Amino acid sequence: MNTVSVQNVSMRFGDFTAVDDVSFTVADGEFVTLLGPSGCGKTTLLNVVSGFLQPSAGKIEIGGVDVTFVPPEKRDTAMCFQSYALFPHLSVAENLQFGLKQKRLPAAERKQRLNDVAEKLDLVAQLEKLPNQLSGGQQQRVALGRALTMRPSVVLFDEPLSNLDAKLRESVRLEIRKIQADYNLAAIYVTHDQGEALAMSDRILIMRNGKIEQSGTPTEIYNFPQTSFVADFIGDANILDATIIGQESEDFWRVSTEIGELLVKSDTPPIAKRLKICWRPENAQFGAGEMNSIEAPITHRAFQGNYTDLFIEMNGVAQRVQWRRSHLEDITSLSMNIRPEDIIFLEAMT
Amino acid sequence: MKRFSLNKMLVWSLFGICVLWLVIPFTLAILWSFVDPSEPWTPDHLLPPVMSFARWEYLWEHSSLKVAMLNSYLLAPSAALLTLTLAMPTAYALGRLHFKGKEAVKLLVLLPLVVPGFVTAIFFTAILFQMGLHAWRFGAILFAHSILFLPYAIRIMSVSFEQVRQNHIDAARDLGATPFARWKVAYFPALKPGVMATLLIVFIYSIEEFAIAFIVGSPNFTTIPTLLFTNLGANFIRPNAAVISLILVVPNVVLMLFLERLLKSANPALSSGKG
Repeated sequence: MNTVSVQNVSMRFGDFTAVDDVSFTVADGEFVTLLGPSGCGKTTLLNVVSGFLQPSAGKIEIGGVDVTFVPPEKRDTAMCFQSYALFPHLSVAENLQFGLKQKRLPAAERKQRLNDVAEKLDLVAQLEKLPNQLSGGQQQRVALGRALTMRPSVVLFDEPLSNLDAKLRESVRLEIRKIQADYNLAAIYVTHDQGEALAMSDRILIMRNGKIEQSGTPTEIYNFPQTSFVADFIGDANILDATIIGQESEDFWRVSTEIGELLVKSDTPPIAKRLKICWRPENAQFGAGEMNSIEAPITHRAFQGNYTDLFIEMNGVAQRVQWRRSHLEDITSLSMNIRPEDIIFLEAMT
Repeated sequence: MKRFSLNKMLVWSLFGICVLWLVIPFTLAILWSFVDPSEPWTPDHLLPPVMSFARWEYLWEHSSLKVAMLNSYLLAPSAALLTLTLAMPTAYALGRLHFKGKEAVKLLVLLPLVVPGFVTAIFFTAILFQMGLHAWRFGAILFAHSILFLPYAIRIMSVSFEQVRQNHIDAARDLGATPFARWKVAYFPALKPGVMATLLIVFIYSIEEFAIAFIVGSPNFTTIPTLLFTNLGANFIRPNAAVISLILVVPNVVLMLFLERLLKSANPALSSGKG
C-alpha cells in the first residue's frame, strides 16, 4: 500500500517554478530519497508534503486521504529538521514528549513511548539534560526521537546529517535506517549528498530544476544513468559526445567519439543517432584489450588513498581513470581498454 | 604587561566615573535628606551638625508625597504594560514579516525620539485635551507616556521577534501545536528578555518623566517628579528636594538589579546547539 502519494504537484513562487509537475509514491516501510543540487526544488517538495507549503497545483495523499490543504499541525507527518529545531529551554524528555502533550495523550502512554524511543536511540542517560548540553549526534537523535514518538505514517528528513562531521554521519546514517526499518515507517529523505542517498535509500529520485530527472534503486541509478546530469551527479563519469556508426549485432553498436571509435553493448537501443555516452572511471581495464583500447599520456594524477585518479588526454579531451593499485608514480602513459558493457547510452544531443 | 596596565587603567577610570556620577551625588543626597531643620548644614562642616528623620517625617505628613507616590507607582507599571501591548503588533511586523520599505519604517518609528520632551509635551497636551481626556488626568498621562515611550518598546521588541527562530515555530506546528502552544514554546522563550527590558525601561522613564506629567497633571495631579520640581522652584529647600529625589531613585535601582538578574537567567533561546 502506498503511504504517500504525490500527484502532479507544482509549486510556483511568482514567476519561478520551484517544483514542476512532480508525481511519486512512497510505500509502507519504504525509504525514498530526493536527491539533487541546491535549488533543484527538493526541500520545497518536502515542505509541500509536510504541509508548510500548499502546492500551486496537484494533490497530496497520505494513507489514501487527500491532505493537500491540511495544515502541518493536523497532518500525520513528522519532520526531522536540518538544524534539529529542538526547543532549547526544554529538557530532552520534554522535547521528546512535546508532540504527545499536544495530542493530549494520557501520561502513562506518554511515558511508555518516551521510554521506548529513549531506549532505541540510546538517550536514557540524557533525558534530564538541555539540548545544548548534548553533542551534535545526540541532538540529532533527540530530533529523530521527537518525530518518532508521534508514530507518524511518514517521517520527513530535511538534510538531517549536514551538520555532523563525516565519521558521525556514517553511524547516524545506519542508525536512522535501522530505526526506520524497526518501525516500518515510510520515509522521505532530502539530501544533496550522493553517498548518503546511495547508502540509505530503497529508491532515489534525482531532481533537477523542479523535475524528477530519474528515479530508481541506488544500483539502477548508478549503473544505468539515463542522462549526463545523473551520470555526473551520482559518482564520477567520463561523458562523451558520440555518433552511432552502425549496429554490429543485436546488442552491440559502434560509435564514433572524440577519443576514437568505441564498441558499446547495451540492452536498450540508443535514443538518437547523435547522443551522449558515459563510462565510469573505475571501470577502465588495465592493458590493451580486444576492443576499445586506448593509449594516452597521463597529464596529471591525484593519489586518493585506496585508488589513484589519473587524467589522460586524447585528442584534446580529458578522461579520468581510477586505478586501484599503487606504484603508479613512474608511468607516464596509460594503456587501457573499456569493456563494451561498461559504456552507457545517455540522452540525445541537442 | 602592557595589556595588564591598560586593563588596570580602565578599571580605575570606571571606578572614578562611578564615584563621580553615583557615589558622590548619592551620598550628598542622603546626607542632605538628614539635615535637621533646627541647624543648617553650612560649608564649614564636613557632615550636617544635627541629623534626624525630621525632613522625611515632615514631607510624609505635610506634603502630597503619599498621593504622588501612589500616582507614580500606579502610573509607571500601567504605562509599561500598555506600551508593551501597543508595541507588540508593530514589533511583530518589523521582526517577523517581510515587506517593502521595512528599513524606512524602522527609522520612522524611532523618529519621535529626536523631538525634545517638552516640545512634544506642550503640543501633545492639546491633542489629549481635544480628545476629552482632561477629565481623567491619570488616563491622559498614561496614554501620553505610552505613546512617548513606544519607540523604545518597538525597537527592543522587534529585535526580540527577530530572535524567534522559524524552525522552532515550524517544529511546534509539525508536532501538532495549537497557536497558543506555539506561542508558548517558540515565541515566548525568545521574547522574554525583550519583554523584561521593555517593562523596565518604560517603568523607569515613566516614573521619572516630568514634562507631560507636569503640563497635563498640574495643578491637581502630582507625581514624584512634579513634586520634586515644585520643591526646586521658588520655595527651594535642599533637604526636602533630597528626600524626594531619593524616593524617586531608590526603587528604580532596586528594580533594575532585580530585572538584571532575571535577564541573566533568561535567554537559553540563543544558545541552541547548531544552526
